Amino acid sequence: MIWEVFRQEENGEYHTHCGNVHAPDREMATQFAAIQHGRRKPTNSLWVVPKEEIGEIDSDDVEFGGTTDKGYRWTMTYNLQTDQAEEVVESESEQEQADKQRGEA
Amino acid sequence: MSAGEVLDPDDLDERERTALEHLCKRLGDDEFVLAERYTEWQVRSPSLESDLALSNIAQDELGHARLWYDVLDDVGLDEEELVYERDPDTFRHSTLVEQPFPEGDWADAILRSYLYDVAEKLRLEALEESTHPKIADRVGKIQGEEEYHLEHAQNWLERLADGEEGTARLQDALDRLFPHALTLFEPTDPDVEDDIVELGLRTATLQDMGEEWLSIVLPFLESLDLTVPEGGLAEADGYAVTGEMLPAVRGRDGSHGEAWDELFEDLTNTYRELERDRPTKIMEKPE
Repeated sequence: MIWEVFRQEENGEYHTHCGNVHAPDREMATQFAAIQHGRRKPTNSLWVVPKEEIGEIDSDDVEFGGTTDKGYRWTMTYNLQTDQAEEVVESESEQEQADKQRGEA
Repeated sequence: MSAGEVLDPDDLDERERTALEHLCKRLGDDEFVLAERYTEWQVRSPSLESDLALSNIAQDELGHARLWYDVLDDVGLDEEELVYERDPDTFRHSTLVEQPFPEGDWADAILRSYLYDVAEKLRLEALEESTHPKIADRVGKIQGEEEYHLEHAQNWLERLADGEEGTARLQDALDRLFPHALTLFEPTDPDVEDDIVELGLRTATLQDMGEEWLSIVLPFLESLDLTVPEGGLAEADGYAVTGEMLPAVRGRDGSHGEAWDELFEDLTNTYRELERDRPTKIMEKPE
């Protein structure tokens, strides 16, 4: 039986997929996951999920969004003089980065 | 020595030095030889996951052997004297760890690991308050890594014992390994062993640890429907290791089976072939 493994590096972060292990049950799966995925990289927590329990839908099944250029909605070209809230600054830099990546793609 | 007292590692008398040497050799040799045996499973375990798990455990045990051998570096014994240039008849490991695996017998590897890891847990607890500062300091690091070794063995045992074939294989391995496991609690030399405890290098006697080990191992194995070989069974007044249960060679006193000579030959083969007079150092000494 295959178990997909998700690793969280620090408390509060997302668990991200990092590989899978073969194991007969959940207990062995957690142990194998710890050995294979928790010994070499900083790890706070691991999830194991039976592969067949994962639901999937892909681009053959459905038209996903995210392909339209909506750069006009972004605020990065505004030149604001006042001190910005942290969230606004972060969002702006995220948007700048996303824009850059879009250019590279 | 009384509780809380600490030995000065730079100023040991003959008796202290001998006791330290016997203690660290029995600890280090067990780990070293067991790791050598475990590595035979590399690329041969029942699954990739098991392969990685046992290889990781072997790697841990080699690291622990290094920690114990390094304590002896302070009294002038270096790696070549402790391993490569050493007379194989002076190794102090238990005969449990030197036994060859019957071909493909994963049940043997798992059961052996269980019997050994329970004993290791107990002896590490008995070293936590050692009067030798370096020994006491190193226990915690080793304990941190040992926890999953025992868990791994127990997890596997429970699953192997779930089917008829697995149970039969485990029973076979138990009949074979149990007498050798008892040598884990044999003295290297009875007088030196007394000194080890009197000097506070270790705080529990071999007998105490042996009885405690039996009180953990027997009920667990019986809960898996395995029959523990004659002798070690529960007594009204607790558990006891008796002389009749022990194998002819006991390892700790330097007596070993043929399998050890072959294994030692193997593990020193490259060293001799390359005509080395000291091992290659790839790591700094442990802290």
